[in-house]
Amino acid sequence: MKVLRFGRVAAVIAAGALALTACGGSNTGASAPGAGSNSGGSSRTESLSGTITAGGSSAQANAQAAWTAGFKAQAPGVTVNYDKSQGSGGGVTNFLAGTYDFAGSDAYLKPDQAAKAQEKCGPGGAVNLPVYTDGVAIIFNLKGVDKLQLSSDTLAKIFAQKIKSWDDAAIKADNPGVTLPSTAITTVTRSDGSGTTQNFSNYLHQVAPGVWTSPVSNKWPIAGSSAQQGGSGVVNTVKAGDGTIGYADHSSIGDVKAASIKAGSTYVAFSQDAVTKAIAAAVTPAKTTVAGDLSQDIDYTKLTSGDAYPIPLISYDILCTKFKDAKQAKLVTAYIGYIISDQGQKIAAKNAGSAPIPADLATKISATLKTIS
Amino acid sequence: MSESSRVGPRMSAATKARPADRIFRLLSTSAAVSIMVILAGVALFLIVRSLPAILANWQTTPELSTGPTGGFASFFSYVGPLAFGTVWASVIALLMATPVAVGIALFISHYSPRKLAGFLGYIVDLLAAVPSVVFGLWGILVMRPFLLPMQVWLNEYLGWIPLFSGKVTSTGSSILTGAVVLAVMVLPIITSISREIFLQTPKLHEEAALALGSTRWEMIRLTVFPYARSGVVSAILLGLGRALGETMAVAMIISPAILVSFKLTTEGENSQTIASNIALNFPIASGLQRDALIGTGLVLFVISLAVNMLARLILNAKPGGRKLWVRPRTEPRAKAIAIAAAEAGAETAIDTSQRSPAGRS
Repeated sequence: MKVLRFGRVAAVIAAGALALTACGGSNTGASAPGAGSNSGGSSRTESLSGTITAGGSSAQANAQAAWTAGFKAQAPGVTVNYDKSQGSGGGVTNFLAGTYDFAGSDAYLKPDQAAKAQEKCGPGGAVNLPVYTDGVAIIFNLKGVDKLQLSSDTLAKIFAQKIKSWDDAAIKADNPGVTLPSTAITTVTRSDGSGTTQNFSNYLHQVAPGVWTSPVSNKWPIAGSSAQQGGSGVVNTVKAGDGTIGYADHSSIGDVKAASIKAGSTYVAFSQDAVTKAIAAAVTPAKTTVAGDLSQDIDYTKLTSGDAYPIPLISYDILCTKFKDAKQAKLVTAYIGYIISDQGQKIAAKNAGSAPIPADLATKISATLKTIS
Repeated sequence: MSESSRVGPRMSAATKARPADRIFRLLSTSAAVSIMVILAGVALFLIVRSLPAILANWQTTPELSTGPTGGFASFFSYVGPLAFGTVWASVIALLMATPVAVGIALFISHYSPRKLAGFLGYIVDLLAAVPSVVFGLWGILVMRPFLLPMQVWLNEYLGWIPLFSGKVTSTGSSILTGAVVLAVMVLPIITSISREIFLQTPKLHEEAALALGSTRWEMIRLTVFPYARSGVVSAILLGLGRALGETMAVAMIISPAILVSFKLTTEGENSQTIASNIALNFPIASGLQRDALIGTGLVLFVISLAVNMLARLILNAKPGGRKLWVRPRTEPRAKAIAIAAAEAGAETAIDTSQRSPAGRS
């Protein structure tokens, strides 16, 4: 009796503890201002030590994990904490609040955010460095269909829910010779706000303005889809259903089938090479007042050559042009320098499935890094 | 505490105050005060942070007309469907959980062998210790595919009932699946409180019913249920409180949309709940959007508070109910029974009346 009651108390305490842990998911450590003890003024990475605190975009998460491990091998004294639970918005918010050394974000700073960054970083402001490029994959699951080709117009019609079944004439026209069932189409989208959604809706907005009339947004604007939490939620749901189609960062799709998307006159399947080519062809520098800032706008309509994947995605690391602590600046620039190095991009391509950034972009980033102090 | 003259230790403590007593009294008083301060602090935080978004013009403020809060005329047209979704999902969950929970509680208190009862009680309490993210994963990987055929069936054959109409889900990501998982999550709360209350039915009543020739079911209907009614209602309301605030499992399982919809088996027309809407959108929200989300949190706070107060009110108002959450006091009726029983020399009845509210046999 007594024992039983004690057990109950223990169970309640255990339940409480678990509930608390469950709620405290996004526990961000306080910023650790540079404990860097850079011996002898050497700029070689082995001699660096300290902690880098960062976070944001979950699209970058796998790549950041690979970079952290790779950088650790080069600079054993440095610890990098990248918190992916924040998402791009949370990353930027924490960066602007001064808790992060850099933020990972799928979108570059908006003008009002850039102004806030100037308050935080000094008049030089903050730079957006496009360190991670990948593609938005269109994944599907349809019984009896292994290969799917879609033109941008059809794609927009499907996601705008103007095409409702798989044997629609528009889909048939894109897939000559394929027998398509009359299964109803279920579009699978993100229920949480996401940079992937922003990129994808921007793509639809640019290439199919006649069909896609909804705004470009980081929150899926059309009701009636199956909305799921996180890229992995979308992938799981597409996999589990029949007649489903969704979009996700390519690095997270696993073994789910992805459609080829029409660019110009040919259908292009996702490949890392095709994404790198797309980035090289479609980006134009965005308007900026910060020297060395590398914000890019993607003009999807330029992607008509048959070797560029039509829905590329860029994710940025955002950092101050002037750090309060010179040692911390050295740490962070060394780390970003590693990320954009050949080795860093290869590790991310291998472990996270991302596409290496084009060489000229890497050169520009390393030029900007040299100006950061 | 004139009634407590029977209870020895408490009385003697009151007669002579020692430093240790005063210190302990101070500690426990400050603990009691701190909970008020915390609650007031949370309420104040919610109000202060959400006011800018509540008062703003949602159509002309660029920040509010885009992103997660885009497409709504005002704060109230945004929070309205969310509040509805929160209550709707919880109510469906409770409709499923209540009969099962009361059944389990009755089995434990009145039907099962003693040893099994203890073990079962343990299992039910253990269910409360499973983190909600685990329930979420279980919902996605097991319950969605498991419930999918049933939902397709409901939609096909009972689709003329508005509840099951609409475009049926093809992945199981409906509010029905979410509510089933929510029901499992609130089960332990309703079960353990109901069990406690069933156990407190005066033995004398039960024995009287049995002596008059009732079957066991009739005895339960005539003595246990009337005695426990208000307690069970408040147990249900406390379960409702849990369901209202549930976040992760709902966010992971249900495919949400911010609209008012009673449909149970669709994928695109499930009303979103407040808690999971906050969880899903807070990371990308900025400035005023965050304030708006905090504002929805304020609404949830008010709803939960109302439900809990209602639960308490019901528990305390009816004479048959035991005051689970108030300081134990001998109730007049229980006392009368105890005196009558003592006069009759029935030992068991005294046991019953002395049982502390949290106690069990």
